[in-house]
Amino acid sequence: MTIKSGYFKKHLHVDLTQGAAERLSLSDAFLEQWIGGRGFGAKMTWDNLRKHNFKIDPLGPENLLIIAPGPLTGAYLPSSGKNSFIAISPATGLYGDSSIGGAFGVELRQTGIDVLTVTGRAEELSVLFIDNGATSILAMPELEGKTCLEAEGMIKEKLGTHAVHVATIGVGGENLVKFACVNSDWGRNAGRTGIGAVMGSKNLKAIVVRGHKDLPVHDIASLVEENDKATKYMTEHKFFKMWQQEGLMNVIEYANEKGILPAYNFKDSVFAKHDRINGATMLDGYKIGDSACFSCPMCCSNICLVKNGKYAGTVVEGPEYESCAMLGSNLGVESFAAVLRANQLCDELGIDTISAGSVIAATIEGYERGIISLSDLDGREITWGDEDGIFELIRKIARREGIGDTLAGGALRIISRWPEMEKVVLHVKGLEQSAYDSRPSITMALAYATSDIGAHHARAWTIAKEMEQGESWSDDERVDHVIYHQKLRPLFDMLGVCRLPWIELGLSERHYENFYKFVTGHERTLEDLLKLSNDVYDLTRLINTRLGATGKDDTLPYKVWASPPLSGPTAGRVIDRDDFGRLLSLYYRKRGWSEDGLPPADVEAKFSD
Amino acid sequence: MSRRLAVIPEECSGCGICELVCAIKHFGANNPKKAALRVVTTYPHPVMRMPVVCSQCRVPVCAQVCPVDALRWIDGVVQLDEKECVSCYKCVDACPFGAIYVHEDCEYPIKCDMCGGDPECVKKCPKGAIRLIPESALGESKRINNVLSYAQMKEIEYYEKGEKKTIQYAEIGKEEL
Repeated sequence: MTIKSGYFKKHLHVDLTQGAAERLSLSDAFLEQWIGGRGFGAKMTWDNLRKHNFKIDPLGPENLLIIAPGPLTGAYLPSSGKNSFIAISPATGLYGDSSIGGAFGVELRQTGIDVLTVTGRAEELSVLFIDNGATSILAMPELEGKTCLEAEGMIKEKLGTHAVHVATIGVGGENLVKFACVNSDWGRNAGRTGIGAVMGSKNLKAIVVRGHKDLPVHDIASLVEENDKATKYMTEHKFFKMWQQEGLMNVIEYANEKGILPAYNFKDSVFAKHDRINGATMLDGYKIGDSACFSCPMCCSNICLVKNGKYAGTVVEGPEYESCAMLGSNLGVESFAAVLRANQLCDELGIDTISAGSVIAATIEGYERGIISLSDLDGREITWGDEDGIFELIRKIARREGIGDTLAGGALRIISRWPEMEKVVLHVKGLEQSAYDSRPSITMALAYATSDIGAHHARAWTIAKEMEQGESWSDDERVDHVIYHQKLRPLFDMLGVCRLPWIELGLSERHYENFYKFVTGHERTLEDLLKLSNDVYDLTRLINTRLGATGKDDTLPYKVWASPPLSGPTAGRVIDRDDFGRLLSLYYRKRGWSEDGLPPADVEAKFSD
Repeated sequence: MSRRLAVIPEECSGCGICELVCAIKHFGANNPKKAALRVVTTYPHPVMRMPVVCSQCRVPVCAQVCPVDALRWIDGVVQLDEKECVSCYKCVDACPFGAIYVHEDCEYPIKCDMCGGDPECVKKCPKGAIRLIPESALGESKRINNVLSYAQMKEIEYYEKGEKKTIQYAEIGKEEL
């Protein structure tokens, strides 16, 4: 036996239609191949698709919701609080996942399971409560229409305890907004691919966990020693203090300087008032505390309070770069207080800040261009930086009122209603693009285009290195860079840990080989582990292929080809179609996929045991 | 002189590393629920992250209610004698701070022993939110912060003809020295 520890080897499966829960065993072979997190998610999604003959409505009871931490989640090592939510995405109709930090996944594991799956649909709005070894489904129709925090408070009151972790949806999830999130620990959101709508479609308002069990670790003394080394490296890094202080908010300034900060729906890549929404402004007038995910010394999350003015009293855990850019510069909002207010609204209503910022920016531009009419806007004009109008749209999206009903359908619904919006809304495969402009970075463009879930930055965040060193890269180097990120990134999500110590502070990925070894007792090299994470990439590709995606979907938003940033250091830059096509072919070749982007035939047999 | 744990809640990020290292040291278990302290988090109002630690009270209520005299204040630490303890948990109930803990796997209440004078939580907190300070220094930072809260650090307040005014403190720049 190769795996000696690190797992409970238990899978909790809940069928909400039947109102039944069962604890199933996980085999060593399964654990060794798929590790955890996204790995479990891909395999279980694939098995469920085969079971349903590849006909799954993302919002139907048959869509399997998988909540998967990894074997390192909760272990004593830097930033081990990660947990993935996986399902067929209502936004793309393809494989979808989103991860959260905080401590929900740790507590979930401490109930004695490695993975939770949920299928079916509850008759009434319900809460799933996993209390150590006991599982119950509680009907709580009184939670209907409640914000994430209200719902969490009511649940804790009903259960008579605060010592639980709650993952809940807001109004957005209940109303099946295609970019609804799952919220936990106040500021943690599984924001992307619409997992909140999957929960909503199951009448599942929240999952509550309380667990006391020891997390299995093979060699705790060596784990402590390895963590001490990693932590020492991190805390001595010249940027460590800056990370504790500003967290991801430091990226606003960087992105503006480099010309990759979205402004006015990516019309521009610099923002004149960047200094009103940057980290320094936050530190100067808004930040009141730090927040960290479980076992993370970096505490990159900020707690911010608006102390005076129109939005006085607004308090959020956040923002981080994505939320601040998408709800700030990308909407022409020049006030940090307004960004905080919009962030709070999105969090409480349970919709993704990235997608919300993206579709609202597209709406403003669509109206400006005359594609969207005043009556489409329910008679209320909207323009850049129009704070009240933006807040109103956020509310309308979550409630699906008026134009909000269309916007709640995300990029694809917007384009189906107003076909000319194809040139305005930025998305790949139906997922709205994150806040890194790919026009000056062809590796980032390739990463967005080939991402299994659509245009999400964290799938392969190649842009920084390319902007710094990549001017003279050969095609081979560019493609290898993207593929390396696409191999390593899933590994973090499979292990259940955060990528930031690696990508931001340069903590060597070799540590993770050791962390894995000391937790599971299974000796594997990083290269062995990367082969497994590459399998996950192949499998999600296969899933998407079987759901109808082809190489033609590995494309980019119109603006990336044809509408360059107006000013700043990247003014005039677009991605050349020929350059991109050449890289994409090379990418397929290096991955061993066909010219049309299909994985080799043996992949299907390999993963269909 | 006795030293005690001092908590600076404004510094705490809620990461739980203190809980982990405590449980690992005392039980060899990767389990924050087996720690002799707990980070309590509240949001959105009040926003609070507060490690609840044992104060090692000089007049320990936990010891007073112990029916078998298993808790005693010795050299600045309220120590639990497991040979005497009957696990009635009266101490857990009696502690005014809720700083003694119970876990179903553990035979006895989980009570901070200050790690023999060199607490793990203090050593490993990445924010310096838990500190070990001499008893006589307790309250020092509160005192100075409270006084400073009357005026902005770089402003001097004064009254002129009954009117409150402030003036920026003129710092001596490096070039002048």
